[in-house]
Amino acid sequence: MVVTNNVVLPEESELTVEEVNLSTATLRAGSFHLGKYCENQNNEFMLCRFEEQDPRKCINEGKAVTACTLEFFRKVKKACLAEFNQYANCIDKSSGEYSFRYCRKTQDVYDKCMLENLNLERPPFGYFCEVRVHDTKRPKPPVEEKAVYPDATPALPEDAEKKPARFGSRFYWMTE
Amino acid sequence: MADACQVIRKQDLPPPGGYKPIPFKRIPAKQYFSGYTLFAGYIGMTIGAIYLYNLTAQRIKKHEIEMRSSKMAIYPMLLAERDREYLKQLRRNRDAEAELMKDVPGWEVGTYYGEPVYKLVPQDALVEPIFHEYYAHTNPSDWFRRAYIKLRS
Repeated sequence: MVVTNNVVLPEESELTVEEVNLSTATLRAGSFHLGKYCENQNNEFMLCRFEEQDPRKCINEGKAVTACTLEFFRKVKKACLAEFNQYANCIDKSSGEYSFRYCRKTQDVYDKCMLENLNLERPPFGYFCEVRVHDTKRPKPPVEEKAVYPDATPALPEDAEKKPARFGSRFYWMTE
Repeated sequence: MADACQVIRKQDLPPPGGYKPIPFKRIPAKQYFSGYTLFAGYIGMTIGAIYLYNLTAQRIKKHEIEMRSSKMAIYPMLLAERDREYLKQLRRNRDAEAELMKDVPGWEVGTYYGEPVYKLVPQDALVEPIFHEYYAHTNPSDWFRRAYIKLRS
């Protein structure tokens, strides 16, 4: 394998946290409110992940994301368990792709409960497909500078003599 | 001899009243629509079909956007979980390689007898191993099951 002993990998104990042990239908059913509830942590993590391009540097952000997700589902369990289960069951059994279009009635019930108890509104249509700006305190990773080679071919001096073209033009195929 | 030829013979003749006239005249099919009506009908039907098509296309597009929104909302959570498990597995792989090659003199983990695979990246850079390296120490049946999903789909 390409991972040598010089590569610092985090210890197993650092990486072990309580994971979200939920089914796909459950996650999909709660996804919109979850994305809104954990928007800050999610954006922070995704920005880190795509700026750093290294999973080792975003462990803590990832832990925050998982913790927030767990917190969200615990709140849902406390406040709207019956409505949520009804909705998740509908999503699970109505289609093979966890489609939402067959579950508008149960969705309304669930949305209403979430709005009343947790004061969480369903985000507008297509909210998570839009570009969202995130303000972070994490410094931007340094951009790799353009390489400078000592033996590069020197450019012409500024005041080099430029004669008029002999054949009327200096297009690239006219290699005079 | 002559008696044998006295059979009454029936001559082939036209039926009484003569033959029917031969139908050689061209009878064109009945025309329900004129050419202009056909053109107009074609354009009208096409416009109607485009309208209906667009209704369905909009419905499908909205559905796709909704599904994509939902997936994007849970993606950070799934990615965070995946990253942690991935790093754990990398450590397990490295330990397994060290354990496997401990009797080989001169072998260094992650290199070929001390010669690194990537020479221009920093020493600490994490280069994600390819599929076959990542699964090198697993049970072959797990490898094949995963390869069937990952490499053929």
